Amino acid sequence: MSNTAAEKVRTFDTRTQAKIAVESPLAYSYRRSGAPAPTAKSRVVLRERPFLGHLVLRGGAIVLDEAVREVLGVSLPGEPQGLVQDAEGVRSVQWLSPDEWLLIVPGGEEFELENRLRAALDDAHFAISNVSGGQTLVELEGEAARELLMKSVIYDVHPSHFPVGKGVTTVFAKATVILRRPAEERWELVVRRSFADYTYRWLLDAGEEYAIGVAR
Amino acid sequence: MSQLNRLPQGGRIDRSRKLSFTFNGKSYEGHAGDTLASALLANGVDIVNRSFKYSRPRGIVAAGAEEPNAVVQLGATEAAQVPNVRATQQALYEGLEARSTNGWPNVQRDLMSLVGKLGGKFMPPGFYYKTFMAPASLWMTYEKYIRKSAGLGRSPMERDPDIYDHLHQHCDVLVIGAGPAGLAAALAAARSGARVILADEQEEMGGSLLDSRELLDDRPAEQWVAQVLETLAGMDNVTLLPRTTANGYHDHNFVTLHERRTEHLADTAPRKDGRRQVRARMHRVRAGRVVLATGAHERPLVYAGNDVPGNLLAGAVSTYIRRYGVVPGQKLVLSTSNDHAYRAALDWHEAGREVVAIADARANPDGELVERARARGIRIITGSAVIEAKGESRVSGARVATIDAEGFRVTGQAETLACDTIASSGGYSPVIHLASHTGGRPTWRDDLLGFVPTLVKGVSAAGGAQGVYATAEVLADGVETGSRAASEAGFAAAPVSLPQVAVRRDGAAVALYQVPHEKPTLRAPKQFVDLQNDVTAAGIELATREGFESIEHVKRYTAMGFGTDQGKLGNINGMAIAARCLGRSIPEVGTTVFRPNYTPVTFGAIVGRHCRELFDPERYTAMHQWHVEHGAEFEDVGQWKRPWYFPKTVNGKTETMHEAVARECLAVREAVGILDASTLGKIDIQGPDAREFLGRVYTNKWAKLAPGRVRYGLMCKDDGMVFDDGTTSCLGENHFLMTTTTGGAATVLEWLEIWHQTEWPELEVYFNSVTDHWATMTITGPEARKLLAEVTDMDLDRESFKFMDWREGVVAGVPARVFRISFTGELAFEINVQANYALHVWETLFAHGEKYGLTPYGTETMHVLRAEKGFIIAGQDTDGSVTPEDLGMQWAIGYDKPFPWIGKRALSRPDTARTDRKQLVGLKPKDPKVVLEEGAQIVFDPHHAIPMPMVGHVTSSYYSPTLDSGFALAVVKGGQQKMGETVYLPMADGQVHEAEIVSPIFVDPKGERQNV
Repeated sequence: MSNTAAEKVRTFDTRTQAKIAVESPLAYSYRRSGAPAPTAKSRVVLRERPFLGHLVLRGGAIVLDEAVREVLGVSLPGEPQGLVQDAEGVRSVQWLSPDEWLLIVPGGEEFELENRLRAALDDAHFAISNVSGGQTLVELEGEAARELLMKSVIYDVHPSHFPVGKGVTTVFAKATVILRRPAEERWELVVRRSFADYTYRWLLDAGEEYAIGVAR
Repeated sequence: MSQLNRLPQGGRIDRSRKLSFTFNGKSYEGHAGDTLASALLANGVDIVNRSFKYSRPRGIVAAGAEEPNAVVQLGATEAAQVPNVRATQQALYEGLEARSTNGWPNVQRDLMSLVGKLGGKFMPPGFYYKTFMAPASLWMTYEKYIRKSAGLGRSPMERDPDIYDHLHQHCDVLVIGAGPAGLAAALAAARSGARVILADEQEEMGGSLLDSRELLDDRPAEQWVAQVLETLAGMDNVTLLPRTTANGYHDHNFVTLHERRTEHLADTAPRKDGRRQVRARMHRVRAGRVVLATGAHERPLVYAGNDVPGNLLAGAVSTYIRRYGVVPGQKLVLSTSNDHAYRAALDWHEAGREVVAIADARANPDGELVERARARGIRIITGSAVIEAKGESRVSGARVATIDAEGFRVTGQAETLACDTIASSGGYSPVIHLASHTGGRPTWRDDLLGFVPTLVKGVSAAGGAQGVYATAEVLADGVETGSRAASEAGFAAAPVSLPQVAVRRDGAAVALYQVPHEKPTLRAPKQFVDLQNDVTAAGIELATREGFESIEHVKRYTAMGFGTDQGKLGNINGMAIAARCLGRSIPEVGTTVFRPNYTPVTFGAIVGRHCRELFDPERYTAMHQWHVEHGAEFEDVGQWKRPWYFPKTVNGKTETMHEAVARECLAVREAVGILDASTLGKIDIQGPDAREFLGRVYTNKWAKLAPGRVRYGLMCKDDGMVFDDGTTSCLGENHFLMTTTTGGAATVLEWLEIWHQTEWPELEVYFNSVTDHWATMTITGPEARKLLAEVTDMDLDRESFKFMDWREGVVAGVPARVFRISFTGELAFEINVQANYALHVWETLFAHGEKYGLTPYGTETMHVLRAEKGFIIAGQDTDGSVTPEDLGMQWAIGYDKPFPWIGKRALSRPDTARTDRKQLVGLKPKDPKVVLEEGAQIVFDPHHAIPMPMVGHVTSSYYSPTLDSGFALAVVKGGQQKMGETVYLPMADGQVHEAEIVSPIFVDPKGERQNV
């Protein structure tokens, strides 16, 4: 083994190219609780974005910012609770805590991204953990999305307090989610795999009033 | 039945919509816009209940939340039963069914009243304490009897068909109450741009303006209300919540609002657009500022017979006439201490009914309203009051006499006036309940004759809630308070124009609470203070005579202001009486504390959707559906659902747990079993100081663990007691993967972060939870290698992939990390793959596993197998009082590590060094058929006199199919030095089990099987 920090950490691509069955964290929930198709009456629509690449990045903001800019072409969010996206809106960086950021990228990009970040960061003190199998992204769209969130999270989701480009970790019913607002009309929940079914059932139940639909 | 008390016109009801309803089984008719109370009064229903203690007939007294008597049981079906509903707050709907909560066999003819008439003797204050203290064993019997005869409604016996939910609200300014002050405050705050929530408990917003005689901008006040509501409704920054009661004011401006969404429509929520809707919603509001615009409650006067139906609050009379078009009688006598109550007489007179007289306690009343009454020729008897109401089931007359209020005596001859209604007013009490919830003791103001709220930071009061009563002043106060609240929340005040209100000249009020009677209080007919709890003036006087001087003690002794009433009508009068009896002033006596909830809240609204299937999160692994489909019984481990065992059904017969576990155990020992171990906590640790950090948080050594190797680790708290364990693998020189117990995952991660952030921030290391990323399946048993070889090309040779090694490879087409660690003592491979592929890998293993007898097993079998090997479970065999040495795990302690790991110092304390500490041992029951009870206490000498010295207890106990015997792990004092000795376990049923102390390792003590 060589002496650089990057090589002292054992990276591992947990994704396979093999043609095998793959199940998102909500796969069981769709079978068990159903997924009502959106209709014209649906005032809120739920859509899972499964199998994305999720990396948790830890380290000092200044060094990480440089590496992320070099590799991903976007800066780290300039402020706590910030969320930034790349020009195409498919890659995002979210502040989680003073030394912690969540990167979400198209599925399959995460391993190469991790390696490139490690190369860029060289012997700086940092950590990158791949958590792609451990969480999923759930989008909520529609005029009732905000009220549905008010039923679910304790955090204030009023536009004056939760503008586009913000993201927080908050209490969701009796679980925890990462809640973010990438666009005016769209909210995203980052849900841990083991809590996904509970979260899904809660959203279907709370969304009944708004004729919630599930886009698949 | 005709609505004999309904006026031909007037009121805010919709006369075109008739609604039928039943009360105590009898049918009546009312109108849309009625409350149950106004409809009952319209129909001439005098008696609505029997009183709690004396079983006296009671009628409607008030028109709002303060109503003490008309507390009814609502609901047409068993499932829809709701107790504790105030008829004055319940909107009428078609088909409403209500019953009195007291009265048997019915309120008209009540057998209990016989007891009630003797009641003064039977149930004096302190009744419960005095009568039922002895014998204590009979209390249960007494209580049942009292409950049945008293009763305050009952719970439904069937499942609630309705749903309820919560809404988390945030605002800059929360205004509670939408009367003149609240509307003005909300308007002012909203104009400034602040986010405003305006909540009001009534069916309609507007408060006192809905029955006001006053003109705002020369128009009826209700028109101004409509205009303001329309303005507020059109503003994006305003949320209007009618039918919503602020019930609790908690710390940090957290206020719980109870919104009744469908209770005005039906007793169970009707469907809306074919979908369920919630019956009630709890708004959990975090407010920047709170404005209390809760108004005031009128105080009734306390006079003899003041509970006979037909005695009402003066303001309630006006409300019924003006808002509902109902005159609750024919002939009125008004007894008042102030000008404002004259409204009742004027409204009554305008309704075309007779005002017999007004008894005014003041010598020279001269305000505008007084003069208007005089101008109409209404008789005013000055310096006097109603001292006694006559009648039993309805007022038949009022005895009026001149009184000396200050000297508390009747000074003249009483005159009896024939009437059927007595309205009384002793002034107004600001509604200070919510302010009181925050802990502020209210302040008495002599000029107002009432308590005003003491306000904590962030809350203000407006209008009647702080004793400002004149409409023009109330509106101005509302605007000012609303603006100030908004500006404190960071919004610049914007101008609000107020309507013109004629200033009314009111004469000064006089202090009058209990009206004197010719007889002393203890001998006069009952003078009620708290109608709901049947507390009389005599009761309070008795309590003070018996030495109860603190108002809190008087309250408890008499039950004044108890329960759902929370002292809305009676408390101030009660305090005034106590003060008089004690020779003190009211502020010296002080007030009791009002508690949440202001009015009763249905349990459903408190629970919201956190019930049944959504009561608590259920955490699932990626293989959960497979477990369900294969008949697993589940065990809760933290919030996880883990397969407990997999009972098989053969020829229609399903295995018992014992049978299934025995089969699963043998499969592992003789063939191969598979366990879903995904729930174990997994923490990814990276950084150049990761190894050093591990050495500090684990008891054992980590300096030399090479990449590719795995080690068991034991973690102590700083008190030296074991709190978690698990294996940690060296992935790279600066990279480790720690596993924790299932239940300890979050706690351990937090523990690591705390020590890193607070004690050793200089160590370069980061922790990340990867529990959910990986799914883990353990295949274990003699055939495990052969099975794994079928689905991987990894080198599984025992020399190149040793016990406590981990390797990377591809299993069933999926990249995997495989760990040769064993919790069963058998050959084992823990396969970790990204969770999205887990079900595929799991199923592939089964596709290949049949020929090897692959058997899924659950946590119960896992427990038996690990216990046979003497492997502990942190939290089961340890309880926060067990050191690694107590466990006999000296091999896992690095005594000579250079840095003192957490807990090391504690292990050198004299107490932890004792040799007679409870130590982990194995127990072998003398009778192999016995499976000792977990938790059973252990003694050395079963013949010792009771209390026997207890020397330990059983921590884990199972039947072992391998040993064909029961066996157990236990902690026993000095147990490690007592191998071979016999201990005894006396059981609750008198049996005494015998067991031998043995090594905790029952199977394969040399550990050869896991090394194959």
